[in-house]
Amino acid sequence: MLRFVVKRIWDGVLTLAALATLTFFVMRLAPGGPFSRNRKISPEVQANIEAAFHLDEPVWQQFARYMWGILRGDLGPSTRFRDYSVNDLIASGLPYSLTLGFWAIVVASIVGIALGFLGALRRNGFTDYAAGTVGVIGIAIPIFIIGPLMQLYFSVHLGWLPVGGWNDGARSLILPVLVLALPNIAYISRLTRASVIETLRENHVRTARAKGIGARRVLSRHAMVGALLPVVAYLGPAAAALITGSILIETVFAFPGIGRFFVDAALNRDYPLVMGITLTYGGFLIVFNILTDLLRGWMDPRVRND
Amino acid sequence: MTPNLRTMLGLLAMTAALSLTAPALADGVLDRGVGSEWSSLDPQVNFDAAAGWILADAYEGLVNFDAKGAIIPGAAEKWDMSADGKTYTFTLREGLKWSNGDPLVAQDFVNGILRTLNPETASEKGYYFYSTVQIKGAGALANGETTDSGVLGVTAADARTVVIEMDAPAPHMLDLMGSFQLAPLHGPSFAANGAGGFIDPAKVVSNGAYVITEVVPQSHVLLQKNPNYWDAANVKVEAVKYHVTEDVSTELKRYDAGEIDITYDIPLAQLETLKAERPGEVMTFASTYLIYYSFNLSVAPFDNVDMRRALSLAIDREVLEGKIVKGGAVPTFAYGGGFDPAYVGPQLAEATMSQAEREALAQELYAKAGYGPDNPLKLSIATTVAEINTRRANGIALMWKKVLGVEAQVNGQERKAWLDLFYTDDWGVFADNLVGDFAGPETFLSYMRPSAEPGYGWVKPEYDAAMDVAAVIPDKAARYAALAAAEKILLDDYIFAPIAIEPYRHLVKPNVKGFEPSVAGYHNSQFITME
Repeated sequence: MLRFVVKRIWDGVLTLAALATLTFFVMRLAPGGPFSRNRKISPEVQANIEAAFHLDEPVWQQFARYMWGILRGDLGPSTRFRDYSVNDLIASGLPYSLTLGFWAIVVASIVGIALGFLGALRRNGFTDYAAGTVGVIGIAIPIFIIGPLMQLYFSVHLGWLPVGGWNDGARSLILPVLVLALPNIAYISRLTRASVIETLRENHVRTARAKGIGARRVLSRHAMVGALLPVVAYLGPAAAALITGSILIETVFAFPGIGRFFVDAALNRDYPLVMGITLTYGGFLIVFNILTDLLRGWMDPRVRND
Repeated sequence: MTPNLRTMLGLLAMTAALSLTAPALADGVLDRGVGSEWSSLDPQVNFDAAAGWILADAYEGLVNFDAKGAIIPGAAEKWDMSADGKTYTFTLREGLKWSNGDPLVAQDFVNGILRTLNPETASEKGYYFYSTVQIKGAGALANGETTDSGVLGVTAADARTVVIEMDAPAPHMLDLMGSFQLAPLHGPSFAANGAGGFIDPAKVVSNGAYVITEVVPQSHVLLQKNPNYWDAANVKVEAVKYHVTEDVSTELKRYDAGEIDITYDIPLAQLETLKAERPGEVMTFASTYLIYYSFNLSVAPFDNVDMRRALSLAIDREVLEGKIVKGGAVPTFAYGGGFDPAYVGPQLAEATMSQAEREALAQELYAKAGYGPDNPLKLSIATTVAEINTRRANGIALMWKKVLGVEAQVNGQERKAWLDLFYTDDWGVFADNLVGDFAGPETFLSYMRPSAEPGYGWVKPEYDAAMDVAAVIPDKAARYAALAAAEKILLDDYIFAPIAIEPYRHLVKPNVKGFEPSVAGYHNSQFITME
């Protein structure tokens, strides 16, 4: 087990190094630079500004400087948000994105799994159709439509919740969490439903039933864990995606997470900030994949032995 | 300020049940939208107009701007100009203090300019002092030719006197003495904290009507009234919160829900409906943001003045702005006018023609340049991908097609790519714009000098000469007449087609008073009241 973990972590580090290298050079292929000339500034002053950020150095030298910085845990200065280093900005935005993502994944898992089970157990009943409808809506209607609709109804019309921003503590969190959770509720409930139905048909479950074990005990003892395996496999990457922030949600709800920094940084050619957030995303994805594998191994001996 | 994750989770558990019914609050805080996040709250570095509002609340320059944007005494109670117009002497108010109680002295203003010009600061604003007005020694300091602060023509004669010496007279110099260009620097706190001190509420020291008390990136900046401000007795609003409102339709909903009192912008698609439904809340007024389409003079047929004039005439500016773009922009044929009522620009033949006459002349000139139905001109318009810009470009392409038969393509580029594109030859027509440094003609006209901006490839010694004539006249009225003569030379060459003056668009709650039209876009919260 320890060897497995160490190997996966080492693979993760190599992946991040490759990601950093690729991003560093690909990013510089885009036309325009962080200080693309404001035409009122004299070329000498322009050169001074670029020199202050080492942008006058050859690219390989900038790359070496950047990689050396990463090793020391320094992601460099931001060129778009001049008052901050990239470390500051990630430290500022990440807790918001983590809080939002954490609650979205909790809501999505609980509601999604519950709807999935209910649907599977009472197939073609009212709950099943209701869950199916929610699923279709959640998957089919994009966030940038459902978000503003909920803002209009709950905030502008009813006045219950703030439209956006981070000024009302927990109340600022409710709408974005719901909107972020919705498509995932849909996926998780459909996934759970299919998986439960399939598991209930399996030989060991039928054997258990044949032995006269009660329906509830069959479900909790024999079918539950097996049915949740695909859901867990889905949750790992989904959690990484949710927790590292949703760019659209953060924009629609004016939420101060790192997703918005990412867009702003890319549009403004803030090379260090794009790098920093890419690496953060990459790091989360790798960690969550490792955790998912460990969790699946714990739930299913077959995975462990692979 | 970084919120602790655990506290936030705890907070959520505690308040979730209680909070659902709490209404939006009227708490005496003025909530203002600022659009995208500020690039810096460092007064010597910030180059964004919207962040300029925050900084104008926190810092005061030698002069200040009232609710309508007119120059009024700021930290300086009075000033004198020498007879040749090259030297200004400012006298600071007695007993001025920084927000921490330290005395504010003339040298703090000198230090502010020195820091802006210092190449290590990497500020984009130094050009105000070596180009927009020519302060002695400013260029040498900014270019790094010297580090000797003694060469600078800004000196503190005593604790209350700032003397500014320029190489040439500049009647517009007072427009550049506000906090956006010239904020004082509190030496001890900068020495101790560096630039990090400007965003740290525990350390920030400022001299304006307000002081920054909370900064959350991508969220907001909160300012509280500064009790040490000299005019604190007349500051009515106790606290101002500037919200990042990147998404303009979310901003509108936040306004409707009572979370924002003054918006940064209004969604184009809803401008007309809102104007009809809530005329008292919609404010649109001219800015110094001028839109014009430049022609690439080094590429045929744009080297032909007849062709350039034909393209300019074929644009029906009224229809374009009123029916297609619908952003409230004001059509114009001039370049330097429209901002200062005292400036009367040159007489333009275009301005008095009907659109039908313009189009007839356009067709004539187009044919004269050797183009027609069998031999249509093909061109591409380089613009940014912002909706308002692509709408305008598509509208102009349609008009050129309809009137002249030109086959125009719109080449939408990301902003940064568009900026760099200007210095290549990969464009025929460039959807250009310029934001004035102040509300007067000279900021535009001096920018177009071939010696100032070689990117246009325009060779015109007569224009430089005419501008040189204007540049030494200290009297404003006489200078304006000379500038109008220069503008005539510029416009007669049609190196660009002036299109329109972009307005500011704001929604203002009915209970907010003192937010007035201001061409330069200054809206200090100290002049605003909430009923």
